[in-house]
Amino acid sequence: MQDSLILLVVLPLLLAFLLPVIARYLGNLSGLTGSLLLLFNILLLANAWNSVGYSPKVILLGGFAAPLGIVFYIDKLNMLFAILTTIIALLLWPCRTHNTDVREYVLWLLLLAGCYGVILSGDLFNIYVFYELLAVASYGLVTLPATGASYIAGFRYLMISALGSAFALLGIALIYSFTGSVNIAHLAQIIPDHLHHIWGYSAALLLIIGFGVKAELFPVNFWVAEVYSHADKRVTALLAGVVSKIAVLIILRFIILLFPWQDIFNFLLLLGIIGVIVGEFAAFYAQDLLRLLAFSSIAQSGLVIIAFACATEAGIMAGIALAIHHLLLKPALFLLASHCDRSINDLAGLAKSSPWASALFVILALSLLGVPPLPGFWAKLLLLQSLMAEQYLLLLVLVLLATIVEAAYLFRLFMLFYQRQEMPEQKRITIQGQELYPVITLSGILLLGLFFLPLFMDSLREIAMQTSNIEAYINTVLGKVQHIGEGNI
Amino acid sequence: MMIWDDIFLEVDFWINIVSIALIVIGIYGIVFSQHLLRMVFGLGLLEAGVNILLVKAGYQKEAIAPIVTQASDTMMSNILAATAQMVDPVPQAMVLTAIVIAAGVQALALSLVIRIYKKYGTLDSHVLFLAMERDRHLSLNQKD
Amino acid sequence: MQRWTTILFLTGLSIVLFAIITPLVLGQSPMLVGKLINASAVNDTGAANLVTAVVLAYRGLDTLGELAILFTAATAIGIILGTTDKTQTTSSPTAGFIVATAAKVLFPLLLVFALYIILHGHLTPGGGFQGGAVLAAAFFLLTLADSGNNIKHKVTQVIEALAGTAFIVLGLVSFALQGVFLQPWLDKGELGSLFSAGSLPLLYLALGLKVGAELANLLSSLANVEK
Repeated sequence: MQDSLILLVVLPLLLAFLLPVIARYLGNLSGLTGSLLLLFNILLLANAWNSVGYSPKVILLGGFAAPLGIVFYIDKLNMLFAILTTIIALLLWPCRTHNTDVREYVLWLLLLAGCYGVILSGDLFNIYVFYELLAVASYGLVTLPATGASYIAGFRYLMISALGSAFALLGIALIYSFTGSVNIAHLAQIIPDHLHHIWGYSAALLLIIGFGVKAELFPVNFWVAEVYSHADKRVTALLAGVVSKIAVLIILRFIILLFPWQDIFNFLLLLGIIGVIVGEFAAFYAQDLLRLLAFSSIAQSGLVIIAFACATEAGIMAGIALAIHHLLLKPALFLLASHCDRSINDLAGLAKSSPWASALFVILALSLLGVPPLPGFWAKLLLLQSLMAEQYLLLLVLVLLATIVEAAYLFRLFMLFYQRQEMPEQKRITIQGQELYPVITLSGILLLGLFFLPLFMDSLREIAMQTSNIEAYINTVLGKVQHIGEGNI
Repeated sequence: MMIWDDIFLEVDFWINIVSIALIVIGIYGIVFSQHLLRMVFGLGLLEAGVNILLVKAGYQKEAIAPIVTQASDTMMSNILAATAQMVDPVPQAMVLTAIVIAAGVQALALSLVIRIYKKYGTLDSHVLFLAMERDRHLSLNQKD
Repeated sequence: MQRWTTILFLTGLSIVLFAIITPLVLGQSPMLVGKLINASAVNDTGAANLVTAVVLAYRGLDTLGELAILFTAATAIGIILGTTDKTQTTSSPTAGFIVATAAKVLFPLLLVFALYIILHGHLTPGGGFQGGAVLAAAFFLLTLADSGNNIKHKVTQVIEALAGTAFIVLGLVSFALQGVFLQPWLDKGELGSLFSAGSLPLLYLALGLKVGAELANLLSSLANVEK
């Protein structure tokens, strides 16, 4: 059954290749094909979810045993991310009835294929290839508004991202030169013991910085605010919500399986906390809503990185909870904010003209902040607990301080929304009901999750346990063919 | 002096030097250059340098190209003896992939450069950055 | 001042890179996977060119991904530059009689050469990407020599869609037959003959056509930006 999960990657590619030609006959229906495909993907994933059960599975592509060919690794974490990606993509799918270039659908499909490939793949170079697919599709999507500013933002994004990819490729080249393999399970046998020296570290840094570009990691994230404020709202929502979390997922796999060294964890903790602080302060000084959300997204990514870099089961669990929370919440916030794209001070009295939208915004933002009993609170609590358990007290204080800054700018925003003064007539923002559907759905998923909190925590713990189990990963992928030529190094 | 002579005659040394030079020049072009076109060229050089390192990883001393040439020789043992002396084919395949990816990205970057030049009439990154910020500012305060 | 910091940074970078890279001694990589592939590739795929075996069989999904990346780049460039099928371009003159004639002479030769490279990809150095690049060059040569000879976007689009679909369908057939995506199928034939290596030459043919159409598309978009 799980073998059919390869269709997740293949079918979007097939449709993307075909769509420019068959769009002539389909007309307005061509957008619908993508939605149908995503629905089919959800069915596929739901079907496979049960069969994966407690033990992870592996798909051998081309039927070649593990270190020779490419493998897809399927465990609950990967499945969860694939399902969430599909749901968000379905909600954000640009299915307008008219006036949409079919090439926009094509780019979306390719981006999604890249996302699935990156999530599922268990091969270093294959991850790089799908990561590039995702990146190139996002360059195209970012420049869709066809304004001069979006071209410049897109170019800067392309340059920093390509620089990162080149670093990642250099890291892969280093690893291949030392080990002669790119299969992650195979490398997980070799690298932690045999490459625990300066070259292992340099490869780790190159890979983390390379994949950190999309994860909004600290030194390579200056593109975030520019791109998110100039791109189309749906693209922004997808990049901020899904793509950045997928990149974080890759980094998690790397630090658990390939580079489980305390120095690397410390380095990531440092990058994470700098990201959190810089992000929150930049958000505090941001002049418009989209940039504010972009900077807060950097801070949230930093939190996820900190949680993962604890490298304990509790830390991984906290990181996954934070990532899922942010993955569902940020697209909704960005969709709301795209209607209020102007300087913050002009938003005074928003609640009068569009009460529902601002109420939703406030609830979501409170969850982002981590106010009990909203879902964000439980995720942040997990993070603080895991930091306590590891005795990272300074980090704990810094995270709390950053939360205070976050509270300051969010409450300033709420005060503005609920000011008595009316908005000037010509500047009034009214958000229509139908534009709120995706937002309502996402908030609904989040709030519903609250009722199943104990259940959810249990499955999160299970996922974290499965994720941190290195032995299981290696045994699942390599099977009986273990310890291949390890003595050569 | 003898040691240095040996090192300079070593192919390995020169491959390293060339790839490092390409990588450093490429990073210089991307990070420090103000001209958009030079940034694209820098990207090309950087990727070339990385690819050299990647393909170097597959080389074996006194090995042959990974192609079976004695096609008439149907003895499987003979073929296996030949393939055992071949270089690693995997990095070659990976570099092939990386080159095609780099070509696509560079073409995309060039098309963006063309568009930007048509819009703003300049390729100076500082001027363009300011123009982007100004556009953003205008769009924020004009949306009535 | 800034110049000196730049020089300092670049020197430091070079030294760091040198320190990282120097221990990678040429010809001493452990080749863990490479040895296994060398030992089993001929049996598994029947291709004489082991690089082809890796590109299409062992790492076939990488190749599909890279095909998709090229397609993505061409699509995005199409959107960015706004491709239109212009029937006549008056602004740029032809390159002159000698060049135009030479292009016409070279064109069929280049086509044959490209097809040779593609079809012998499993036997000799070369294959879909290399042949596809030559194919695109052949068509682009005509455009360069005489700007009236535009590459028709509609035609390349159809070729590109069909070739890409063919590649995936070849993979899906093996999925339907054996339950594994992109597994080599068909008879392996005699090692070293043209009709050997099962489905690999078919994959390379699809790949070559796709890459050729894609690159031709890409070049003509870049060359014919609306004035």
